[in-house]
Amino acid sequence: CTTSEVFHNGYVVDQAALDLVPVGSSREQVLLSLGTPSTTATFDGEVFYYISQKRVRSVAFMKQKLVEQQILAIYFDKNGIVTQEANYTLQDGKVFDTISRTTPTGGRDLTFLQQLLSGGGGAANSVKNILGGMGN
Amino acid sequence: AVIASAAAAQAAVIQRVDVRGAQRVGAEAVRSNLSIQPGKTFSNADIDESVKRLYATGFFSDVQISVSGGTLVVTVAENQLVNQVVFNGNRKIKDDKLAGIVQTQPQGPYSDSLISADIQRIKEAYTAIGRSDVEVTTQVVPVAEGRVNLAFVINEGERTKISSINFSGNNAYSDGRLASVLQTKESGLLSFLTRKDVYNEDKLRADEEALRQFYYNHGYADFRVISSEAVLNEAGNEYTINITVDEGQRYKFGAVTVESTVDGVDAAQLQGLLETHEGSTYSARDVQKSMEAISRRVSSAGYPFARVVPRGDRNFENNTIGVTYLVDQGERAYVERIEVRGNTRTRDYVIRREFDISEGDAFNQETISRAKRRLEALGFFSAVNISTQPGSSPDRVVVVVDVQDQPTGSFGIGAGYSVDNGGVVLEASVEEKNFLGRGQFIRVAAGGGFDDTQTYNFSFTEPYFLGYRLAAGFDVFKSSTSSNSQYDYEEQGATVRVTAPITEDLATTLRYTYKQIDYINDGAFGANGVAGGGDDTIAAPYIDAITGSTWTQSIIGHSIVYNTVDDRQNPHEGIYASFTHEYAGLGGDSDFYKAYARARLFYTLSDEFDVVGSLAGSAGHVVALGDNLNVFDQFKIGGKEIRGFANSGIGPRMGGDSIGGTTYFTASAEATFPLPAVPQDLGFRGAIFADAGTLFGSKLKNDAGADGTDMAIRASVGAGIQWNSPFGALRFDYAVPVAKEDYDDTQEFRFSMANQF
Amino acid sequence: CQSDPDIDITKLAAETDPPEVLYNQGLANIKAGNMSEAARKFDAVDAQHPFSEWSRKSLVMSTFTKYRLGRYADAIATGNRYMNLYPKSEDAAYAQYLVGLSYWKQISSVTQDQKNSVKTIEAMQRVVDEFPNSEYVDDAQAKIRFARDQLAGKEMQVGRYYLERKEYLASIQRFRVVVERYPNTNQIEEALARLVEAYYAMGVVQEAQTAAAVLGHNYPDSQWYADSYQLLQKGGLEPRENAGSWIARAGKQLLTGS
Repeated sequence: CTTSEVFHNGYVVDQAALDLVPVGSSREQVLLSLGTPSTTATFDGEVFYYISQKRVRSVAFMKQKLVEQQILAIYFDKNGIVTQEANYTLQDGKVFDTISRTTPTGGRDLTFLQQLLSGGGGAANSVKNILGGMGN
Repeated sequence: AVIASAAAAQAAVIQRVDVRGAQRVGAEAVRSNLSIQPGKTFSNADIDESVKRLYATGFFSDVQISVSGGTLVVTVAENQLVNQVVFNGNRKIKDDKLAGIVQTQPQGPYSDSLISADIQRIKEAYTAIGRSDVEVTTQVVPVAEGRVNLAFVINEGERTKISSINFSGNNAYSDGRLASVLQTKESGLLSFLTRKDVYNEDKLRADEEALRQFYYNHGYADFRVISSEAVLNEAGNEYTINITVDEGQRYKFGAVTVESTVDGVDAAQLQGLLETHEGSTYSARDVQKSMEAISRRVSSAGYPFARVVPRGDRNFENNTIGVTYLVDQGERAYVERIEVRGNTRTRDYVIRREFDISEGDAFNQETISRAKRRLEALGFFSAVNISTQPGSSPDRVVVVVDVQDQPTGSFGIGAGYSVDNGGVVLEASVEEKNFLGRGQFIRVAAGGGFDDTQTYNFSFTEPYFLGYRLAAGFDVFKSSTSSNSQYDYEEQGATVRVTAPITEDLATTLRYTYKQIDYINDGAFGANGVAGGGDDTIAAPYIDAITGSTWTQSIIGHSIVYNTVDDRQNPHEGIYASFTHEYAGLGGDSDFYKAYARARLFYTLSDEFDVVGSLAGSAGHVVALGDNLNVFDQFKIGGKEIRGFANSGIGPRMGGDSIGGTTYFTASAEATFPLPAVPQDLGFRGAIFADAGTLFGSKLKNDAGADGTDMAIRASVGAGIQWNSPFGALRFDYAVPVAKEDYDDTQEFRFSMANQF
Repeated sequence: CQSDPDIDITKLAAETDPPEVLYNQGLANIKAGNMSEAARKFDAVDAQHPFSEWSRKSLVMSTFTKYRLGRYADAIATGNRYMNLYPKSEDAAYAQYLVGLSYWKQISSVTQDQKNSVKTIEAMQRVVDEFPNSEYVDDAQAKIRFARDQLAGKEMQVGRYYLERKEYLASIQRFRVVVERYPNTNQIEEALARLVEAYYAMGVVQEAQTAAAVLGHNYPDSQWYADSYQLLQKGGLEPRENAGSWIARAGKQLLTGS
């Protein structure tokens, strides 16, 4: 039996529904047949993106490897009619290192000693349980 | 009229608020709790709101609000105030803990309803620690005007024990077997330590569920718990718990088929995944495993919305249950967000990485329950519940993961093995399973035993090394013993290891160990290294070991472990098998290739009397790659593998000292059973066994004249007692060798660790 | 093991020292830096003379001492009790502010549950809304900003988790939450930069450019913008304002923070 496992992330493409929304159909038609878009244009809602990915994990401990990616972009004009549809695949993806810097955040972080003392509840009360137990 | 009709008060405005009857509480406090202000319009709702709020403060036994002309009249009757609350007669629960449970607080209101609720709470607190016959009365002493002192007088009574747990209606399994399934135990010698004999309602409910699972997994699909009740006998201050069950028939699996209404999903292909086969005993767990396998395969094939629904159809004549797994299209919903809540210590990613789905993916119930099982298996949480809430649009769902961190640090005292001769050491250890909430494991342990054996080790494991599901870690160890009269043995070193899970039950580990070994001559023979006369002669290989001391070993090891044992403490079914091979030679003084394997199969011989049989076997061989081996490279086999012999009691010997051997085989058959007289709670089990084995061959530099280098079978039979003590599973065995060589070193009685995997 | 001694309540008279004496002893203890003793003194005033003017003042001081002792849960309980009894009194602003501070002190790192940040915002918002001209409003707003930064930081942390695993959809959703709900926090620049990265990695270049353009518009000299610009530069693209004026609209929306 193969130990590899396939994962489908994001939107589940349904070819039949896709053909129902050619260029010129309305925003409601798109919503009806394809469902809520995975995401829309960040700053204005006139582009729908349906994003789906396929990953494979060859053995249980390996990372999931991205093998397929399909992004369907549907552009609307001002009064909500589909003007253009574009398809991006894995090949369009760019490969680069993301910025390693992160914006600092605050908040109290647990030090090991604190954890041992608070977590030590477990340690402390298991000792107490044993010793305390002897008492009564 | 004094009271204007409420309707007329609709848009009324008042100029003044007149408070009557509030001497102590003070008019100002009453006014500030009203939602009606002079000069502002108010309605009936405001009046009700104000009445409610005044009652909520708890200081008033009666509140009347009425409007006369332009003034609002608020007449209140004040409760007496509590000056001090005191708890007398309590030993087991401290005052401040009781103060936390009780609602009546100093300078709070004194109201009878509150007091009776408090008494009930105190009783519940005592029942929870097994003292359900506590009596709580109150003593009230008036102090200044309108204020009283209150004392809860508690008579704790004795620990309420559970005298017996009786089952009726069970003929397939013995009472003892069922009792071992329950969490609640009868009171016994050690129950003050284990506290398992405390009766409480929801623990009994949980036990019922455990019984149902046990029977469902062993073929009894119609099993029902007819009744389970705890009868408190006041005089003896103990409970007897009676559980009546109706086992019903034992079912086998009938026809098992897969049907699919989702086009593109071919049912025949899925047939191979099933764990439930026609003719084998019905087991709910196998059905659940099959459902998971099918759901994984179907969502892998690109149908993440598909759902697997099992349908059983019973055939009462031949007691079979046919199972049909129906794969149909679930509704198309997507996970909008995975909200992790309640993690006050565990970090977000440690929880999130257990989910195979992420935000934006198709919602699949099976993956959610798999993640829940994984999170619970981590052991970091006392509670994990995953619920779904509607998302921002109809086909969106928000998955809410509510966890409750529990202390994962533990301080333990346990028994372990010393390195050189396999003697038992008592070990104290501090362990943290969720180090800094990062899911990492840390353990520091120190131990001591006979012949001033000392062991120290520190180990650390990161379960998701570099994002892979690889458990990588390292161990640092140091131990010394002078169990041998002629030399002290010391070793110290470190191991770096990576463990990778292949399937649920199969895992493989790669490790590298660098070790220093010292044989220190404690003056047993002449300084120039020549064996002195008399009985304290020492075998030549040990002289080499001592003179060439501070040896180093640099070993690369790889092992595969298959483990399906159901319960480590009290195994009834399953197989533990491990195969390891090691290569030493990249530097260091040892130069060998060593391979050894071990397997142990558990099988319940009789459910009725809870007799568990186990067959075990092991074998090992070491090949010298250089010219020959050192004494510490060879295998040492003795009492640990074949009971009835001393540590490293068999195999090649020179002048009474075992020098180990290059090849060994052992086999053992054992049956364990509950001891009839001893109460179940103590965790004792009897055992009878027969062991056999051999150790032969030697490749040391000067092992000329050693006897026992050829193969000779040793065997022994014996009996023993196994005790699941709070310090770990211990064994006391007595075995008589039936076949041995005259130079072997026998030892009939032996104290050791049980179930050592 | 020892247990608490039994107390004969008949002798337990309600010792009634005059409230002002107890209150001043409390203040003296604070000056002497003995907070726990001060807390006991103030609680005694409240116990012996409930609902008096003195007990009201001592409730506030008791909240303050418990806050300083780090007994945040007690401080919140006492503070809330004050707000129930005297919601309109002149120290109410201070009591509510102390409750907010007690939550604020318990805010944990972004990798853990942020319910204390949410509670901080609630408590401090009450200070701002109900006591607009109290002297605590400025610090209350600063604490609200800090708590919102934390909430945004948590979204970013989960977003980065998904970005690292190349689950772009999940990461984009999280970064969008920051852009839409927490635009005026310190995380906004990084959120936009991460959006550039996520879209760019997926190949949806036009969205990457828009995000970079908005980042450039609002934070021209931010290091994040420099990185995003350089990233797009490498791929032969500049963050140009794409199609028409809606970038201006997007930019305006950000500036006015509507």
